[in-house]
Amino acid sequence: MSAEILVGEDDLAEMVEQVWVSYLDPEGINPLVLNGDAKQLSEVHSTVSITGSWHGHLVFASTRDAAKKAAAAFLAMEPDEVSQDDLSDVLGELANIVGGNVKAMLPAGCYLSLPTVVLAPDTASYYPTAERITGLYGVWDGEPVSISMWQSVKQEAKA
Amino acid sequence: MKILIADDSRVMRQIVTRTLRQAGFGDHDLVEAADGQETVDKANSEKPDLIISDWNMPELTGIEVLRKLRAAGNDVKFGFVTSECTPEMQQAAEAAGSAFFIVKPFTAERFDEVFSPILG
Repeated sequence: MSAEILVGEDDLAEMVEQVWVSYLDPEGINPLVLNGDAKQLSEVHSTVSITGSWHGHLVFASTRDAAKKAAAAFLAMEPDEVSQDDLSDVLGELANIVGGNVKAMLPAGCYLSLPTVVLAPDTASYYPTAERITGLYGVWDGEPVSISMWQSVKQEAKA
Repeated sequence: MKILIADDSRVMRQIVTRTLRQAGFGDHDLVEAADGQETVDKANSEKPDLIISDWNMPELTGIEVLRKLRAAGNDVKFGFVTSECTPEMQQAAEAAGSAFFIVKPFTAERFDEVFSPILG
C-alpha cells in the first residue's frame, strides 16, 4: 500500500493550511504560496519519524529567517527577540503538528517519534532507506519553506 | 482553578497558555510540566483541578500519565491536546478516563467549546 494514495499533496496542503491559519497567518494575509521548487534554499529543518504499519519521515525545512518568523508568530514576539531555543522548539513543533496529522491518515498502528531539529540545510540529513513521495514547496513572507514526506523503500519492497 | 499544562515543547505550553487566555480562561492558576514524569509529580504535589496534556512526551506518554494517575486513585479532570488523533488513540484515552481530546492545530474557539463546560 502506498502512502502516495493514503496521504497526497492535497492532504498535506490541507494540514499545512490549518497550521498557517491557526498560528502563522491567523489574519489570512500571509499564506504559504506554493511554487513547487524542490531545490529552493533551506537552512534549518526538523523531522518526525513514523513507524509501524507505515514507515517514513515528515520533514519541515526553511530558511533561518522563515523559522525565526514562525517562532515569532508562535510566541507572539518580534523576530529579533527569538532565541535559538525558541527556533528549535518551534521547528520541532511544526514537524510534530503536521506529522501527527499525517499519522491520523495512515493505517492504524503507527507511532510518531519525538521531533529532531537540525539547524542546518535539509541536505545535511539523509534517509538512507527512504525516498521522497510528496512535498509542498513554497514561499512564506518572502522566505522558502517546504514540508515533505519520505517513505521507507524497504516497506515498498515488502508490500 | 488550577490548571496543569503538560507538554515537552515549551512553545506549545506557551501557545496553550495564550489560547486559554484568548478563550477567556486567563484568570486561572497555571502550572507547567515538561515531560510525563513531571506531570505525575506535579499532579500529586500541585493538586491541579485540570490537566491539559500532550500525548507524545519523554519519560511517560500522556496516556501512561493518565493511567498512572487513575491507578493511584487520582480523579483529576484530564484531557489531551495533541497533534495525533487516531480512533484507537481516542478510544484508549476515553477508556482511561480522558475528558476531552483537542487536536493541534487548535483555535481559541475550540478551547472555548471544550473548556467552558469544565471551567465555567
